[in-house]
Amino acid sequence: MARVDLAFATVTFKRKIAYKTTWLFSILFGGWSLLAGLAVWSQIIGDGELGGYDWSAMKAYLVIGFLTATLAWAGSDWEMANRILDGHVAIDLTKPVDFQRARAAEYIGGMTASVPAAILGTALAALAFRPAPPVSALAALLTGISVLFIFPLAFCISYLATMTCFITQRFLGVQWAKDSLVAFFSGMMVPIALMPVWLQGVAWALPFVHFTTTPASIYLGRVDTAGALGLIAAQAAWAAGLWFIARLIWARLVKKVTIHGG
Amino acid sequence: MADLLAPRRPAGARHVGAVYTRAIVAQIRSITEYPADFWVMASAGVMWNVLQFAFLTVLFATVPDVAGWRYHEMLMLSGLFTVASGSTALLCDGVWSTGQMVLKGEIDYRITRPAPVVVQVATTHIGMQGFGEVAFGLVMLAYGWIGAGLGLAPVPIGLLAIACAVTIECALVTLFCAVNFWIKGPMSNFAFMLIDLQSNAMVLPLGLFPIGVRLLTMFVIPVAFVNFVPVAVLTGHLSAAWLVGTPLAALACVLAALGVYRLGLRSYDSSGH
Repeated sequence: MARVDLAFATVTFKRKIAYKTTWLFSILFGGWSLLAGLAVWSQIIGDGELGGYDWSAMKAYLVIGFLTATLAWAGSDWEMANRILDGHVAIDLTKPVDFQRARAAEYIGGMTASVPAAILGTALAALAFRPAPPVSALAALLTGISVLFIFPLAFCISYLATMTCFITQRFLGVQWAKDSLVAFFSGMMVPIALMPVWLQGVAWALPFVHFTTTPASIYLGRVDTAGALGLIAAQAAWAAGLWFIARLIWARLVKKVTIHGG
Repeated sequence: MADLLAPRRPAGARHVGAVYTRAIVAQIRSITEYPADFWVMASAGVMWNVLQFAFLTVLFATVPDVAGWRYHEMLMLSGLFTVASGSTALLCDGVWSTGQMVLKGEIDYRITRPAPVVVQVATTHIGMQGFGEVAFGLVMLAYGWIGAGLGLAPVPIGLLAIACAVTIECALVTLFCAVNFWIKGPMSNFAFMLIDLQSNAMVLPLGLFPIGVRLLTMFVIPVAFVNFVPVAVLTGHLSAAWLVGTPLAALACVLAALGVYRLGLRSYDSSGH
C-alpha cells in the first residue's frame, strides 16, 4: 500500500470517528437485526433442526451475520456517491491520483473505523447468547481470513452501485436496492440452505453470498478445509473481477461528466 | 435565531397546503425531465420489496406459521409497512436532509420565507424509489388480503389503516430527522434507526418479542400502529377495540413531530457559531 493510499484511508477513518454518534449507531443498526433474527429463529427451530442448523449453530450463524453486516454497511457509500452527484468528480479527474484506487483507500479506511464496534458487538453477542464454537482452530483462522475479504468485496459492490449516480439524481434508493441484494443473497436475511435449489444456485453465482454464508459455512464446518480454501479463492476472484469490471464501467460513464465553463 | 425571524402569525392551513402542493408539483415536474432517473429509482424501490416477498416465501416453505401468523397475514404486515415507508419518500423525503441543512446553515433562508420551515424542507426532494415501494407494497397487501380471505367488507378499515400508517410514518420520520438540530451530523441516524427497527422487527409478529419491545413499539414509539395493530385487527389476532388507537397514534405523532421540529428551530443557531 502506497503512502497516498494510507493517507486517504486515514482521513476517512478520522472523519468516521469524528461523528461519534454515527460510530455508536453502527452497532445498534446491526443489533436490531440480530435480536429480531434470534426471536424468529428460536421460535422456528425450537429444539429441532432446520436446513442443517440446530439452535446453537443458528445462533453462531446469526452472530457471524451481525459481524459481517456491521462491516459491510460501514463503508463510505455516500461520500463516493456525493462526489459524483455534486460534481466533485470533475476536480478529481484533474488530480494525479487514480479515482478508483483513492475511493478504495477511503472506503476501506471508513470500514476500519467500524472494526472496534464490530468486535465489541460480536463479543457481547457471543457472551449473551452463547453460540456454537468454531468447528476447529483452523476453521476459526480461515473464517477470519474470509471475513477480511469482505473489505474489498464491499468496496467493489458499493463502488459499482455509486456508478449509477452518473445517470441518477439521488443515491438513497440505489443504496437501499444494493443493501437489499446484499442482505438477501448473502444469507443475512435467511440462510441460503433454506432456499429452493434453483435460488441457491442463483445465490452461489453472485458475489453477495461471500459476505455471510461463506464465513459462516467455514466456521460451522459445513465445508471441509479444501472447500473452505476454495470459497476463499472464490472471494479473491470476485474481488479482483469486480475491480476490473468497475474500471470498465467507469471508463464509459465518466464520459457523461460535463464541466461547465471549461 | 429562528424565533427572531419567524413570522409572528401562524400560517393558515390553506396557505400551508398551497405551498406544499406547489412545491411537490414542482418536484414532480422536475422528475419528468429525468425519465431514466425515475425508472432506475422506481426499480430500486421495487427491489427491496421483491426480496422481502422472497424472504417470506422461503421462510413459509419451511414452516406453516410464525407465532400463529400465516404466510398471507405476514405479507399484509410487510405490504402495509412498505406502503407507509414508501409514502414518506413521496410526501416528505426532504426531511432526511435536515441534518445536512443544519450543518451547512441552509435553514437560514428558509426561516425568512413566509411558509413553515418543515414544509419547505420536506418538499426539497421526492424519493422516486417511493413509487416502486408504494406500488409493490400495495400488491403485497392486496395479495395477502385475498390470500387471508378477508373479502370486501373490511375494505374501509383497510383504507383507514393505510391513511393512518402513512401519517404516522411521515410524522415519525420527520420527528427523528429533527433530532439533528441537537445532535449534529450529516446523516439522520435516528431516522435510519427507526426504519431499521421497523424493517427488521415490525414486519414480524410482535408476539415474538419480549414485553419491553412490545410496550416500546405500542406506547413509546408507536410504530406498531403503522402495520402490526391494523393487520392484527383485520386478521383477528387482536380485538377490534385496538383499531381506535390507530388514528389516535397518528394524531399524537403529528403533534409530536411538529412540536419537536419547532423546538429544533428554536435551538438552531446557523452554521459556524
